[in-house]
Amino acid sequence: MQVAQISTDPQGQGSDVFMEEAALTALRPALFARYNALDSLRYDYPLVLIEGEEVEKPLMPLCHIVDEALRLVAPQGPDGEELRQQVLRLEQRMREKVAAGAEEKLSELWRISVSELVTESGQSAFGPLDQNLDRARQTITLDGRVIGCTEATPGKVLAHVWQSMHLARARKFRYKVDRLVLRLNDILKSDHIKSDEAHSPEALSKSMGLDGDNSIDFGVLSNILHRVRPEDRLPADRVARIKHVLQVLQTQAFFGPGRATYSYPDKAVCYSYVFQSCTEALDAYRDRLPSVIEFSKALAIAEMEVENKYVPDLHDGVFANFDESDLTEEQMAFLPPAMIFLRDGVTESSEISRAYEALACGLPIKVMIQVDDILGPTSPEPPRNSFGAGTARLASMAMGINNAFVVQGSSAHMTRMQDAMVRAMHYGGSAMFSIYSGATKTVPGVPAYILAAAATEARLFPNFSYDPSAGPDLASRFDLSANPQMEKDWPEHTLRYEDPTGVRKEEVVSFTYGDFALADTRYHRFCEAIERKSWSGDMVPFEEWLETSGGSDAIKRAYVQGVDRQDALMRVVVDDKIVAAARRCKDAWNRLQELAGINNSYVLAQLAEERRKREALLAELSSDAASPAAVEPAQPVAEAAQPTAEPQAASEEEDSVAAEVMDDMPWIETSRCTTCNECRQINDQLFGYNENMQAFIADPDAGTYRQLVEAAEGCQVSIIHPGKPRNPAEPDLDDLMERAKPFL
Amino acid sequence: MTASMSQCLMQMVQTDYQIADYQSDITPRWCTGCGDNAILTAMQRLCRDEQLPPEKTVCVSGIGCASRLPHYMNAYGFHGIHGRALPIAEGIKIRRPDLSVFVTTGDGDCCSIGAAHWIHAVRYNMNMTMLLHDNNVYGLTKKQASPTSPKGLKSNTTPFGATLNPLNPLSVTLGISNVSFVAQVPDWIPELLYDVLSKAYHHKGFSFIRILQRCPNFMNHHFDAAVQDPLRVRMLTHADGLRLKPELSRIYKNQETHDPLDLNRAQALAMLDEEIPVGVLYSNPHVPCYDELRKGKRPSTPQLVETVLNEEFDKVGIWPEGQQATSNGE
Repeated sequence: MQVAQISTDPQGQGSDVFMEEAALTALRPALFARYNALDSLRYDYPLVLIEGEEVEKPLMPLCHIVDEALRLVAPQGPDGEELRQQVLRLEQRMREKVAAGAEEKLSELWRISVSELVTESGQSAFGPLDQNLDRARQTITLDGRVIGCTEATPGKVLAHVWQSMHLARARKFRYKVDRLVLRLNDILKSDHIKSDEAHSPEALSKSMGLDGDNSIDFGVLSNILHRVRPEDRLPADRVARIKHVLQVLQTQAFFGPGRATYSYPDKAVCYSYVFQSCTEALDAYRDRLPSVIEFSKALAIAEMEVENKYVPDLHDGVFANFDESDLTEEQMAFLPPAMIFLRDGVTESSEISRAYEALACGLPIKVMIQVDDILGPTSPEPPRNSFGAGTARLASMAMGINNAFVVQGSSAHMTRMQDAMVRAMHYGGSAMFSIYSGATKTVPGVPAYILAAAATEARLFPNFSYDPSAGPDLASRFDLSANPQMEKDWPEHTLRYEDPTGVRKEEVVSFTYGDFALADTRYHRFCEAIERKSWSGDMVPFEEWLETSGGSDAIKRAYVQGVDRQDALMRVVVDDKIVAAARRCKDAWNRLQELAGINNSYVLAQLAEERRKREALLAELSSDAASPAAVEPAQPVAEAAQPTAEPQAASEEEDSVAAEVMDDMPWIETSRCTTCNECRQINDQLFGYNENMQAFIADPDAGTYRQLVEAAEGCQVSIIHPGKPRNPAEPDLDDLMERAKPFL
Repeated sequence: MTASMSQCLMQMVQTDYQIADYQSDITPRWCTGCGDNAILTAMQRLCRDEQLPPEKTVCVSGIGCASRLPHYMNAYGFHGIHGRALPIAEGIKIRRPDLSVFVTTGDGDCCSIGAAHWIHAVRYNMNMTMLLHDNNVYGLTKKQASPTSPKGLKSNTTPFGATLNPLNPLSVTLGISNVSFVAQVPDWIPELLYDVLSKAYHHKGFSFIRILQRCPNFMNHHFDAAVQDPLRVRMLTHADGLRLKPELSRIYKNQETHDPLDLNRAQALAMLDEEIPVGVLYSNPHVPCYDELRKGKRPSTPQLVETVLNEEFDKVGIWPEGQQATSNGE
């Protein structure tokens, strides 16, 4: 749900009360007023973190799940109304529980809430209410933890998306490695059964199992098998190589054995890939590099061995010199990336700069930087800048690295950013997530969700993604579409209120940096609330003020709309410092817009130039039109190219020419030969097979005319033509030539 | 997608298989003039042109003249039992999807004792190629009427002539659910035989080819009418099916453009009485394949099998109070 829809509700509590005196400490942006009772509204939270490998959408708002269930069981209209109301009441109960801090799986939260509602209704378990709600529950096939929007939300969401990706990678990894292990074992097994050991009486006895009556003499059996044993054993070096590869594959520590944990031999302790600092992650990367190299080599060798394509003379050298510089992106992407959780204001600032270094190197890391305070203090406190000039730019800076996947978003928009987050997790290189939690301590009384959404609305923390793998240009890579009214400088909303006489009024207002700053108590010293009776004509709406030349008119003052604790509307005049910060904020937003192709300065300049040229040309034409000589129509510059190329007559050589030449020579319609071998059984010197195993006259002098005639008579598809006799001295020629006539 | 390291390294190993690489040491023991020879040659040509490694190729057969083919191919082979070539081939394919699997069978082997397997193999639509060598007779046992023998054929088992109308393998196959590829071709036009075989090989799913096969000993001159009169052969051509070369097009003038996705027309063509339809009657690559549908999420390693079994046993296990099954099997 967007803040874009907020407005003061004339029916809301206290909206008709106007305070005589403004209390700065309770000031909030006017557009927040509609969300006083957030817990009773249906919006993106509570959010369900959907469990499972490679789920299409790892995040789903609870209300969407409920809506889908209602669509299936409660049709619109009187028939479904009762059930609809019951399920919505249940959803409200779950919402209240999450707001109170409950964090359960959806199935459990549903169960507990149903139990409470049933008890409160006075009905028994399995009563009508219970059964109705159970019907709706049956349609919900997914499950997962239900979370609210708090300061911990960005970490939980990212950890969940990373875990989903990790499970999916683990599945692919196990599928590939297990398949190779099976196949390599098959190769070794097929070699082993030819060994003395496999044919020993002991091995035969063991393979037979219990032989209760001792009716089999395994010694004799072993002797018999020994005599017929195949001798084509695998080369010893190949066996050793396969065994080594198997050992590496089976003892790898990158992913666990999954479901086969129960009995997996040599179970290795798996590496952890979740870190709270960049230093830890980089240290782990270095420590694990030798095993990464060893494993990548083993994997490549295994793939070649199962295809029987490993040639020691060719490949031994390649693998002997294989080191980290030979690791390919594909090989790295096969192993888990590190997930690093950093928090602005908590993590040491040096860690953040290390993260940028690691991102720039293209290491397989995913870094989340959680931002809790966008505006920062009102005066710079290195390394933190003031007036929103610092943390809100982290992601934009990461885009400069160019090969890192960058996602920025506020926790209010996790659902709409989830596609980008999933793609970033699956991206082969490094990725950076900059998430604003909305849990700013200096903004009391405003829910984290509202503040997070407001940060995006105010263009302070826009949602965007930069995907280096999406294409060669910015148009493919950069996506700004997850922002409200992205074409505009500031999003506009309708503010509804009542004037002192109780008349409903509407006003279109923009939500700007100034509105956002109004919520932060640190910035109240730069604001002055003006009660209604003191409003004057020299007060200019903040967004209009920004469009002016920069406050040169000393009489005018910029104001934003605010409300106090009782939702009384007032104008809040802001200081030039906030105006200047808002200009910087707008400038940064305009730059992002340009990257997304909105108001691109190059395009605009080109457009202006083209327009200028066109106007100049029109002016010239209109001046020429005044002289009669200019009215002749312009001659066509060039005739349209005529289709010249007559299709060249295909030079078709008739086969008859060749046939005439061949009249005297024996010949075969080779392409019709069915390889029946009949002619070659008569004379395999006279008749030969070509590369497609089809007959032709290999040597006309290698046989007799009689053989040619008999072959022609015997040919099942009558494609042998004996021609004329080559040896006039051959007996019975007259008779043979008569027999050959049908085949000439 | 870029080639993996192992793919690049494997390309260093050049292979250039020739027809001789697919010929076994055993000389074919089919009768002189038998159409099976042409089928064998077409298969060997296909293997060469596709450069199929012999160790990655399997020919499976049942019993009969046609089923001798695996002996003559230098590849893996399984000369199975009567009518059971297809279940064996299915087992091979589901365990080793990387292998190219060919099934050779005769009209007796497939349409009589193996009819049940034939029907279900079509329904399973596993990715393999089946060649039905249809000479309308049991040849290996020296002439008995088969299910496809023409009515009135006098044979050792039908001295007064076959009583029933013959079974039509094409219309039967086209009537089975999940059918995905059906073609017919005679053995006496080698180029077409090769082209159809190639089409079948590249089709994803179960490819059924009925090959009209001459038997010079027990059904001599049976196909002569079609061999000698090209107009008796109706060539089914299409951009997605068979494309005739000019020299064949000049000979076989009886042509029809037939869309291989048109099942109704395919069924009508299969029922042609006076003419022999030749080409791809039906080809639909979008029919789901059983081997893909049933592909496990992970290979059944002994460790996984043991784990799954233990989990099942644990469900009915009785544990001392305060204990339960642990993940490490203690």
